[in-house]
Amino acid sequence: MSRSVVVVGLVIFTAWTLGPFLWAVISSLLPQVALTTTPPDLSPTNLTLDNFKAILADPDLVKGLYNSTIVAASTAVLALMLGSTAAYALSRLHVPGSNRILLVVLATQMFPGIVIIIPLFIVISRSGLIDTYIALIVVYLSFILPIVIWVLKGFFDAIPLELERAAAIDGASPFQTFRLVVLPISLPPLFATGVFAFIESWNEFFFAVILTRINTETAPIAIQQFAGQYTSRYGQMVAAAVLASIPVIVLAVVFRKYILKGFVEGAVKG
Amino acid sequence: MLAVLGYPVATSIVLSFQHVKPGSGQFLGAWVGLNNYLSIFSDPVFVTALSNTLYYATVEVVAVVGFGLAMAMLLNHPFGRFAFFRVILLIPWAISPVANAVMWKWIYNSNYGILNYLLHQLGIINQYVVWLGNQQLALNALLVADIWKSLPFIALLLLAGLQNVPPILYRAARLDGASAWQTFRFVTLPQMRTAILICVVLQTMWALKVFDLIYVLTRGSPADATVTLNYLAYRETFEFGVFGYGAALADVLFLMMFVLALIYLRVFHPMSGAQQAGS
Repeated sequence: MSRSVVVVGLVIFTAWTLGPFLWAVISSLLPQVALTTTPPDLSPTNLTLDNFKAILADPDLVKGLYNSTIVAASTAVLALMLGSTAAYALSRLHVPGSNRILLVVLATQMFPGIVIIIPLFIVISRSGLIDTYIALIVVYLSFILPIVIWVLKGFFDAIPLELERAAAIDGASPFQTFRLVVLPISLPPLFATGVFAFIESWNEFFFAVILTRINTETAPIAIQQFAGQYTSRYGQMVAAAVLASIPVIVLAVVFRKYILKGFVEGAVKG
Repeated sequence: MLAVLGYPVATSIVLSFQHVKPGSGQFLGAWVGLNNYLSIFSDPVFVTALSNTLYYATVEVVAVVGFGLAMAMLLNHPFGRFAFFRVILLIPWAISPVANAVMWKWIYNSNYGILNYLLHQLGIINQYVVWLGNQQLALNALLVADIWKSLPFIALLLLAGLQNVPPILYRAARLDGASAWQTFRFVTLPQMRTAILICVVLQTMWALKVFDLIYVLTRGSPADATVTLNYLAYRETFEFGVFGYGAALADVLFLMMFVLALIYLRVFHPMSGAQQAGS
């Protein structure tokens, strides 16, 4: 590729990737008057945090952020506890068929949520668990756990066996080896996998629409309702979207090294 | 794993042969045989939803994998290797689909949206367009928003694939005097087969399942122009309360995805497909 093509391409790439979100951030910092003049009044003296103050005073949005924090943190912790032990077992204990795990992961991606949720909704309704944290967390685990197991198995596979042999010679049981040798050196990938589980459940909308009501509505539901109710409060509507995006963007950028390695390269190598 | 996914799928198939009335937490089913499936094929909304779904998935997969490959090649070029480019790619990937939808709702706003303003300034449109209220444009507007969000993951995946191509192949191509296009066609593409297959499969599945954007931006309007199969199954089940019919629609979608996955495996992986059939 010639140099000029690459430079033009990178400029278009940057404008396209950054533009829409940058415009949302700018809009969230401008008052309604500035946004509804043509052209929009972008003078820096207009910049204000009023939109954010207004939405943080909205009890429904605050409750949504609170609920999302509880659901996403619980899902992440449980996914790590269950996923790390399962992944280690698959990586070390010669479970038959464990090399097919990529197929299982792809299969879970293949199931349309609607196929699973109709029967689950009936079961959950009958057991009175609609609008509870537990229903949401269990459903999230069902599609996040396979991915977590698959990524962690990749990390565990890369740990040299010598370390564990040394532990075994010192008389450690397989579980002690896992807890005292493997876990400590796997902390960064474990944390990154937890971040992934957190982001996925923080952002999830489809199951939340069906399984939550007034008490456990998550942030995406609250934002959607806000945007549907106050269709002309442009700055506030966009501020709500930006506010809910900040935690996940920060997490993704901080842990990008592991996310890229674990999720992206892992998918290519299978 | 089979039990976890198998039970709901089996139940969903059983449900699709029933008429289920939700009421006071009891879901009483009555067998109706093939009636739900027969009503699907006489339902005009199903035809609209099916054609919308196929159009949406085709455009999205072609655009995302095509542009994703272009992005990956840019980022693999020495000029594109700054961490900055990879960091900004994480933004569309990380933000929630609902936040994405609200963001585009503001961009598409017919009175004050930036898109109308820019296109008008550039002289591309003469008067402001109601992007989400126009039958021809609404689905395409959703597509652009979805492509923006889906591109980063696929681009990063393809970038990882590009970095796995042995550099010696490019040196050999250069020695043989291959043009840029020939190098792409005979070195890059064949080496990227697996990575591209994975992207096509994943992106097809995601495109067939699109929900959040439709729910937030159009709710299927105008005149069902943005109703997809997945959204229709949701609407019939959870808004109209027709559980059996909704389950039948969901099973049709599931069958479509299943058949597509098999076809992809055959087309891209003739060898492994044969092995699986034999084992």
